Amino acid sequence: MSNSFDGMHPYEPEIGSFEDVEAGTDEDVTAKTGTTTVGVSTEDGVVIGTDRRASLGGRFVSNKNVQKVEQIHPTAALTLVGSVGGAQSFIRTLRAESNLYEQRRGKPLSIHGLATLAGNFARGGPFFAINPILGGVDDEGSHVYSIDPAGGVMEDDYTVTGSGMQLAHGTLEGNYDPSLSIEEAEGLVASAVYAASERDTGSGNGLVVATITEDGVEIEEYDDATELISA
Amino acid sequence: MQGNNQQQAYDRGITIFSPDGRLYQVEYAREAVERGSASVGVRTPDGVVLAADRQTRSSLIEEESIEKIHSIDTHVGVATAGHVADARQLVDFARQQAQVEQLRYEEPIGVETLTKRVTDHIQQYTQTGGARPFGVSLIVGGVENGRPRLFEADPSGTPYEWKAIAVGRGQQDIQGHLEEEYDEDSDLAGGIDLALEALAVEADDLDAGSVHVSTVDVESEQFETLSTEQISDHLAELDIGGESDE
Repeated sequence: MSNSFDGMHPYEPEIGSFEDVEAGTDEDVTAKTGTTTVGVSTEDGVVIGTDRRASLGGRFVSNKNVQKVEQIHPTAALTLVGSVGGAQSFIRTLRAESNLYEQRRGKPLSIHGLATLAGNFARGGPFFAINPILGGVDDEGSHVYSIDPAGGVMEDDYTVTGSGMQLAHGTLEGNYDPSLSIEEAEGLVASAVYAASERDTGSGNGLVVATITEDGVEIEEYDDATELISA
Repeated sequence: MQGNNQQQAYDRGITIFSPDGRLYQVEYAREAVERGSASVGVRTPDGVVLAADRQTRSSLIEEESIEKIHSIDTHVGVATAGHVADARQLVDFARQQAQVEQLRYEEPIGVETLTKRVTDHIQQYTQTGGARPFGVSLIVGGVENGRPRLFEADPSGTPYEWKAIAVGRGQQDIQGHLEEEYDEDSDLAGGIDLALEALAVEADDLDAGSVHVSTVDVESEQFETLSTEQISDHLAELDIGGESDE
C-alpha cells in the first residue's frame, strides 16, 4: 500500500527506464572508445583529460575526433570509456537525473551523491562495458571517482581508465601532488594522455581537457597533446 | 430537495469540486485533525522541538503505546495530530523515502525534500477515485546541512514551512500562544519550554507522563526523546501542569 502510488525506485532513473538489453550485446561489432581518460584532483579543482580516438577492437580507428568528456552537472563531468552507445546513454541519463534533482531542490546534487547514483545505474542498467571517470567540485572540495562496469565506485586523488591506463598511470605516479595548480594539473594530464597515445593502439588523435572548478566546467580540444605539456 | 442531493454528491466523491470550488472531503479531513490531541513544533537556532499531548481516555492504558511522535531517520522526526492509523501509514512512507535517499545518493534526506515527498503522496489521495484523504496533519522537524527546519504537511497535501506550529485540538489558541511568545533567538531548552507552555494552553492537566517531547539539535543532528524526568524538570520550572504520578 505505502508503495502503490509513488514509491521511487532507488536503483533506476526517474525519467525513462532501463532498456532490457542482454549483457554482451555491445561486444565485438560496436564502436569502443579504447581510450585513455585521466582525472586529477587538486585543491583548486579537477582536471580531466582524454584522447579523441574511437576504434573497433583497438585495431581500426573508426573516429578521430571524439569528445570523450562531457559536462553532466553544473560542476561535474564524466568520461566516455568502453562501448560508445552505453557511455552516451549513461551520460544522458545522469544529466537528466542531475537536472531534475537541481530543479526540484534548488541546489545541485553533491558529487558523492552523483557518484552513488552513477554506481547504481552502472550496476542495474543496460550500459555494461563502461568504465568512466567522474570528476567534480562541491561544498566539500574536489573529487575524482572511477566507476566500474559492475557499479563499483571508488574515490581517489587521481585515477585513469581505458585501454591506455597502465601507460598513463606510469606518468602520474610520483608526479602527482594535491597542491598542483590547475595549469600544472593540465600539463600532467596532457603528459599522461600523450604517453598512452604514443604506445596504446586504442588511444590517440589529440587531447580533450575538461577543467572543473567551483565556477563550472570548461572543455578545450587540442590536436596534439604536446601543446599543453610545458617544457 | 434537488439542491440537497447535489450537496451530498460533492460530499461523497472527493474528486469532485463543489460549485464554489471546495473539496469537502479534504475539509472534513481537516476536521478529523482538529479532533486529535494537539502536537506542536518549535524551531530555534539550536535545533527543533516536537512536543505532543498523549491524552488518554482511561487510566488503564499504557501511555507509551500512544504514538504521537515518530523518528523518521536519525536526523528527522514527525509529530502528528488526527487519525493515528493514517499517521502510521505516512510515517512508514516517510521512513522508506529516507532510506531510498540513502540507497540512491548515500545522503541523509533533506527535511524539505522529505516533507514534499510526503505531501505529494498525500495529494494523490485527494485526486484519486475510490480513495479518501489522510485524516492527519504532520509536523516534520529535523536538521538539514546544519540548519534546523520545521514543516507542516496537511490533508490537502500542501507543504508549509514554520518557525513554530500547532496542529490538532485547540490549534487556534495554541498557535496564538506561539505567535505571542515565540523568540527567534531562544536556545533549545527555551524551545522546549515554549512547546510545553503551548500544549498547556489547551490541556490543563498536563503531566510529564502524558507529554512526549523529542528534539533534533544542530550539533548532534540526532533525533532524541526526553525522559519523563527531563520533562518533569521543565514542567516544574515552568510551574505548569498537574502532579506527575511518579
